[in-house]
Amino acid sequence: MGKYFSKEKWQYMFYTISHPMDGYYWIRHRDRGSVPLAILMVVIFSFCFTANRLLASFVVNDLDPRDVDSLYELVGVLAFYLLLCVSNWSVTCLMNGEGRMKDIAIAVGYATVPMSVVLVLGTLISQVIADDEQAFYVLLLGVGIAYGIIMMLIGIMQVHNYTLGKTLLTLFITFVALLIIIFLILLMSNLIGMVFNFFRSVYTEIIFRT
Amino acid sequence: MKRFKPLSRIISLCMAAAVLSLSIGEEVHATSLPYDTYNYDYREYIHYTPAAYVPSTEIGGENFTYNGEPVGRFLTPQDLCQADDGDIYVADTGNNRIVVLDSSMSKVVNIITTFDNEGTEDSFNQPYGVCVSENGQIYIADSQNHRVVVLEKDGTLVKIVANPQSESLDDGYVFTPLKVAVDYADRIYVIAQNMFEGIMVFENDGKFASFFGTIKVEISLWDKFWKRLATKEERTQQQLYIPTEFTGIDIDPEGFVYASNIDATGVQGVRRLNPRGEDVIKKGENKNVGGDLQISGSSDYSGPSQFTDVAYRSNGIYSCLDRRRGRIFSYDHEGNLLYVFGGLGTQMGTFQLPVAVEDIGGRIVVLDATKAAIICFEVTEYGRLINEAVALRFDGDEAEAVGLWERVLELDENNELANTGIGKAYLTAGDYVQAMKYLKLGMNRDYYSIAYRRYRNEMLTKNASYFLTGILILIVAIIVIKKVVKKKKKGGAA
Repeated sequence: MGKYFSKEKWQYMFYTISHPMDGYYWIRHRDRGSVPLAILMVVIFSFCFTANRLLASFVVNDLDPRDVDSLYELVGVLAFYLLLCVSNWSVTCLMNGEGRMKDIAIAVGYATVPMSVVLVLGTLISQVIADDEQAFYVLLLGVGIAYGIIMMLIGIMQVHNYTLGKTLLTLFITFVALLIIIFLILLMSNLIGMVFNFFRSVYTEIIFRT
Repeated sequence: MKRFKPLSRIISLCMAAAVLSLSIGEEVHATSLPYDTYNYDYREYIHYTPAAYVPSTEIGGENFTYNGEPVGRFLTPQDLCQADDGDIYVADTGNNRIVVLDSSMSKVVNIITTFDNEGTEDSFNQPYGVCVSENGQIYIADSQNHRVVVLEKDGTLVKIVANPQSESLDDGYVFTPLKVAVDYADRIYVIAQNMFEGIMVFENDGKFASFFGTIKVEISLWDKFWKRLATKEERTQQQLYIPTEFTGIDIDPEGFVYASNIDATGVQGVRRLNPRGEDVIKKGENKNVGGDLQISGSSDYSGPSQFTDVAYRSNGIYSCLDRRRGRIFSYDHEGNLLYVFGGLGTQMGTFQLPVAVEDIGGRIVVLDATKAAIICFEVTEYGRLINEAVALRFDGDEAEAVGLWERVLELDENNELANTGIGKAYLTAGDYVQAMKYLKLGMNRDYYSIAYRRYRNEMLTKNASYFLTGILILIVAIIVIKKVVKKKKKGGAA
């Protein structure tokens, strides 16, 4: 456990956030990152996301608190994270990407940190702003999310040793692959359901005949 | 073991309290009424409230005699209206007559079946709408005789409006008036059958003047796209894009025309037309004056409300009658929904085919064509408080209204209008903390922000010395720490 969450790993994560180019390079080549830490960051991001939706001030937040479910959102964020990593890995495997699954997981996981930070900051700031000062809040969130996306982009670029153009192309294909995976999962669950129904009806038939 | 006894006792006490509080917090159920009274909150959830109006009586023609003769059941009556002198005119369409009741609806004072038309006795054929002008003249939309008959109160003929002539009317157009209204200048507003261009306006000499309040047809981009793709044959098969017809009409004392129409999208079922025929209605917080907001489903009972009549009441309040679910929606002048009540059914106080609504002496009165009855609703404490508070706000006395709103809150804790009203009053009084509390409960973001900004400024000016001292101390501390760290480093190096 200590290996994954050691002080050095934490420090290196913050180094990566401030120096993404360099940071991600050594994550790939010197194993300076930690997958459990990345997953922890994703979980924290999910909580920050829910907290923002639930606790951001009435002035900026039009959501019905009854619609927010932290557990549901945690599962959703984790599922999306898994899907993104798997589809990116499958695409980059075919496109000469150098990154391993764990590098991708770390690249995406670490990139959620700035987003979590601005979500928390935004939630705090929203408590002290009035209606016409919403711009600050929106700007803050926008900057944080943009930084996170850029980090993710750089991360994927560095761990696969791609050019920027190729990264964007693979991201697009990743997105398509993501949809295909979702489609296949739905298809499979549907078919399994049908098979299950078949066996169940056979079973009920037998039960009723005896 | 003994030590744990009080603990278990406390736990059981807590549970009992929880159970009790649950049973107290239950929804309010209207037990004796055949319908629910409700409103929509900011999030468009249905919010049940105490009854605003309760049914008092149902009056049919069979209850009355006139000159010793029984009046007899109404037959598909279609309209009713109240004259300024208090008499109530009912268009008893199926019996081809106008029945006049006194203001308390306890006796029939007149029945108009015939009138003297230049020496010959003339009668009505399906009189569909009726209206009385300020000087007491009766306007009758005599639908199957294709004319509007204007009579004096004693039944002598004033004029007949028929056969409108205009370039904008098709050749062979048959004028079939359904509903009629008169303004202070004796201009006649007529809703005619199959007339999609709007309300027909006639000058006081009976000449057709113009169309009024035409509803514009909005074709979405998507429909346009499909129209493009369709072939000529397909296009002839498609339904035409024609505007909806108006269904009911009323005129407020300022001369604005309230007209209901059936909106397939359920957004706007009523219009407030200024003298130029432009719609100037305010749609309120939910951007909707179309009745029910929760309209999903596929049964006959679902879908957008269909407003069949509108009645201007007083102080900017108007009520619309929905024939699909038999509900009455009351809005204030800002378009806020005040209360919704009524329902379909055969019980006393419910409707089968409601056709007209009117405000008669503070009561809401609905005419039902199938039941052939006039159904009266009496205002309750809750409804009266809301009406009065809205009236005060309409006059600009928001501070006066606070007492009323507070009593509304006693009956209906989550009433957003009441919370907003109280919040605004606190805001003007300068109590920003209370104002923020109530405006937040009333979901009024704009006024909440105003209150919050003032509160924040107040806090900042009050505590400016602490803030500035704090910042000063912080700066000094940083400088000192930096110096200490530098010294330590130097010391370490040396």
